[in-house]
Amino acid sequence: MIEIKNLYKTFNRLQVLNDLSLTIKDGETKVIIGRSGAGKSVLLKSIVGILKPDAGSIKINGVEVTGLGDKEYDNIRRDIGLVFQGGALFDSLNVAENVGFVLNEFTKLSSSVKRERVAHTLSLVGLKGIEEMMPSQLSGGMRKRVSLARVLCMEPKILLYDEPTSEVDPITADAINRLIVEMHDKLKVTSIVVTHDMNAAYKIADTIAMFYHGQVIADGTPDEIRNSRHPVVRQFVRGESTGPVTEDESLKFGHVK
Amino acid sequence: MVTAIVDKGRSVVNGFFQYAGSLAILFSEIFFWLFAAPFSWQRFFSQSKRVGPGSFFIASLIALFVGMIIALQMAYMMLRLSAEIYIPNVIAVSLTRELAPVLTALIVAGRIGAGITAEIGTMVVTEQVDALKAFAMNPVRYLVVPRFLSLTVMLPVLTVFAVIVGIFGGFLICYFKLGITQYMYWQMVRDSLVVKDIVTGLTKTVFFGMIIALVGCHEGLNVQGGADGVGKSTTLAVVRSFIMIIMFDCLFTFVFYFLFNA
Repeated sequence: MIEIKNLYKTFNRLQVLNDLSLTIKDGETKVIIGRSGAGKSVLLKSIVGILKPDAGSIKINGVEVTGLGDKEYDNIRRDIGLVFQGGALFDSLNVAENVGFVLNEFTKLSSSVKRERVAHTLSLVGLKGIEEMMPSQLSGGMRKRVSLARVLCMEPKILLYDEPTSEVDPITADAINRLIVEMHDKLKVTSIVVTHDMNAAYKIADTIAMFYHGQVIADGTPDEIRNSRHPVVRQFVRGESTGPVTEDESLKFGHVK
Repeated sequence: MVTAIVDKGRSVVNGFFQYAGSLAILFSEIFFWLFAAPFSWQRFFSQSKRVGPGSFFIASLIALFVGMIIALQMAYMMLRLSAEIYIPNVIAVSLTRELAPVLTALIVAGRIGAGITAEIGTMVVTEQVDALKAFAMNPVRYLVVPRFLSLTVMLPVLTVFAVIVGIFGGFLICYFKLGITQYMYWQMVRDSLVVKDIVTGLTKTVFFGMIIALVGCHEGLNVQGGADGVGKSTTLAVVRSFIMIIMFDCLFTFVFYFLFNA
């Protein structure tokens, strides 16, 4: 379980997370929606320890992680897989080396075992036989799936996805969504998925939380969010340009006072 | 007016100490990771290949021309004094003690240092460095340590080759243009060089290698923004490396001259 309480994060005087509280139960897929700059990606990076929150608490399986040193945090990180928005594949490594990164760096498995595990993980994401390709030779969708394979290879207990279906065609997006659901059903991992794609959100979510001005303004099942009466939530899920959220807010990053 | 100058001076001094401080922190992290985790020889060799063989041709080419230039410039003066026989001495000593170490360091700073900043900077803006952290891999351990070690080891090696090629460049001029015999040239070179010339020259290059790696990695890890930020940091890395190499060269020359009488 991940428990986030009263989290604050500021960048250059811009309040990105503003007293944010959220709970993700074991085995749950929580989808986080919200406008760009609402603090969704910052939350994911705070959970994995890439960013340090200014104040507040993050508990992962009961362990308070905000005050942990690098070494202690690394033990927690090995159970968390973060799929980055752009894939963040290592350019200098081929697909097999990318996918097997954690195995190569932190385990003493034999080469044949590693090779098998990499091939198996690639087949899970529907990308057999591309081990020797370099990231620059992959399409956007393939990069995202290799990125997912890379985190699956470490067999994480928690999966964080940062906009997994952005910048890919609708068919690939649907394939990725199905993959997320499969991971949830087969591996019973706890997942947090950041997305702007409401169709994807309804498909994959157990619960959906909406961020606005660095806070959670709605948290409920897909049906509850779809039928929410909160004016900001209604405007967002319906994708309307008129309403309480004004267009120029998107020009600013973070909390707009 | 005076206040403005004082304020500017203060900010420059503060900036200098802040920069020196962050380089010192990076250096201490490198030192820590050198011993705290199993060392990756594969990454070290891969970087060394890039620094050494990758820079060998350009460093040698420039050293060859520098050797020829020194010979010609010295000939201009020495012929007037009928002392052209000492030209090989000047070539050997100046290349070994000063020109080959500094010029090779500047070439490597421009070629490899800039490349390191651009590569690490691009990794920062494309979240690859964040991905390393997310996989519990310290970026200093993975990216900086192999580059630091390979530059520290390979720069002296490149300098040795640069000295040899530079002296050969001088030989071409002395033999074909100034009429100094082959035997005489190499005899004069051998007589003029003593161990401390070689030691002082090569000791400097170890530190120059460290400077290039530290500055290049530091600028890369601190890139802000996108492609524009990478470009600015790369330029900054080259400029700062050049300045620091020359500054430290001056410092080393003082230290060797006054403390060790070398």
